[in-house]
Amino acid sequence: MRPKVVITGMGVVSALGVGAERHVLALRSGKSGIAEVRFLPTKHHEFPVGEAPFHNEEFRRKLNLPEGRRYSRTSLLGIAALREALAQGRLLDRQVLALISGTTVGGMDVTEQFFPKPVPDLDRDIHDCGASTNDIADNCGDFDHVSTVSTACSSAMNALIMGKLLIENGERDIVVAGGAEALSLFHLNGFKSLMILDTQCCRPFDKMRAGLNLGEGAAYLVLESEASAKARGAGIIGVVSGVGNACDAHHQTASSENGEGAYLAMSQALLDAGLSSSDIDYVNAHGTGTPNNDASESAALRRVFGEHLPPVSSTKSYTGHTTSASGSIEAVFCLMALQNGFIPVQPEFENPDEQCVTPVSGSNAVSADLRHVMCNAFGFGGNDSSIILSRYE
Amino acid sequence: MNRVYVTAIVKGVPPEEYSRYISPMKARRMGRLLKRALVTALKAMEVGGIAKPDAILNGTAMGCMEHTLQLLNGLSAEGEVVSMPTAFMQSTHNTVASQIAIFTGNHGYNTTYAHRTVSFELALQDALLRLRAGLARTALVCANDELTELQQQQPRFFGQLEVLDRSEAWMLSVEPGEPPLYELENVKIIHNKGAEDRAIVQKIPL
Repeated sequence: MRPKVVITGMGVVSALGVGAERHVLALRSGKSGIAEVRFLPTKHHEFPVGEAPFHNEEFRRKLNLPEGRRYSRTSLLGIAALREALAQGRLLDRQVLALISGTTVGGMDVTEQFFPKPVPDLDRDIHDCGASTNDIADNCGDFDHVSTVSTACSSAMNALIMGKLLIENGERDIVVAGGAEALSLFHLNGFKSLMILDTQCCRPFDKMRAGLNLGEGAAYLVLESEASAKARGAGIIGVVSGVGNACDAHHQTASSENGEGAYLAMSQALLDAGLSSSDIDYVNAHGTGTPNNDASESAALRRVFGEHLPPVSSTKSYTGHTTSASGSIEAVFCLMALQNGFIPVQPEFENPDEQCVTPVSGSNAVSADLRHVMCNAFGFGGNDSSIILSRYE
Repeated sequence: MNRVYVTAIVKGVPPEEYSRYISPMKARRMGRLLKRALVTALKAMEVGGIAKPDAILNGTAMGCMEHTLQLLNGLSAEGEVVSMPTAFMQSTHNTVASQIAIFTGNHGYNTTYAHRTVSFELALQDALLRLRAGLARTALVCANDELTELQQQQPRFFGQLEVLDRSEAWMLSVEPGEPPLYELENVKIIHNKGAEDRAIVQKIPL
């Protein structure tokens, strides 16, 4: 029988702050982190964003990293989240560690400052995705396996999916997986070109929704075989019960009308978990706030859950769309919901749309006894993924 | 546990063969890398005799540089009034794997690794474990990178990372195929602080 994969540590950084505690507080009290841009040197102040709370230099000091060299913001966010995850997992001194991290932006925030000139005075590579993941790993511990997944907005979730596979195949006992992504002028202007940025706070599933807000952040989960966790007496936060990955195979950036990829990913996750749709107590939707994504995801949710749709919400109205990091950031939110017994609500939601599911709204999180929750992350190219996280019993 | 075989390895497809796989009309709208990647993938599917693999994986060190540089150039020339939806859409690293899926109508497992010189081997490891565990019976594993004019003129523009201008595609199957090529035994990735990541691929010729 394949080993059960449990979670023994987590760390998170987003517009809601640095560290798990601040996130639980914000999610419970319905307090969004989306605001006018402060740190990204953009002219586009008309688009609100979810920025992590510190300037790069302040992050560097707080993380006690050496000065006199360049760090991409993606690396800084990743280091903060990974250190928290390793500390909670009591792995800071471990010599044999695997990291799988999702990113697309990588060190683009540095490259774009100097382009068309190369970045000056580089003592190490900084631009490519792998360089940013290696920088994160090497500033946190002794990793002997490091990998980067890049499937756009589902990158971090696909990192979790690969982590589970490595453990189930007996390749590793412990894999730290997640993702990190900083805001960049490159993708802010890219999303602006696609005309899918909202000038107000995003309103996923709302009839008046007008696009997404970009966010940034990082989150890592310590995935571990149950046997290893028990043997070393690690605290178990939850279980990765099931995972699914499918391709919408429809269009590079638009989702299909019936949400085929999303439907297949969610169905596979249920099958992998050995659960039926009625076992799911909450869905943390991808719910970006774009007209296309939310309608397509709603169609898929209706196909999976039929008449018995569990409570659904999108937490992108708190963090913005943290793109490649969203899959692990929102997986951490699901673990918080499971642990603390609450469902995050969408405070900004006002107008139900018959094309969409109606998310849980209100001003404060709703108390709920949760056993199994589903988390979705979909990316450009129809790279759709879904995971099911469960209470450890 | 399934045994895993390599049933096709395709690389260096000559441009005169392209029209066998993609109509010139469709090819015209594609960038150089995407065209070459797609043709290489389609040929591997043909040689391996698998029209719809259960999984499509790609490894790329730098992603789709032609379109990335278009948007970077646009940003530096025009500033933030720039609007380049097509370049942005096709700049993400997962463009190749998802376009193969879109072109062939494949809804199966689809992922992309972008980790320096071991990107392809990471994709290979994922496919190996997936096939071994019975989660898929066939997988197309690709390696795709392009050297743009900028990178040819200034090879160190983006750092020390050595990027190969290449498209390669392997077909993996739990069945040996006819004629069989290799049995894929193991893929190991090795990371050492301060050193370039390495991969060991163990395959036995059949």
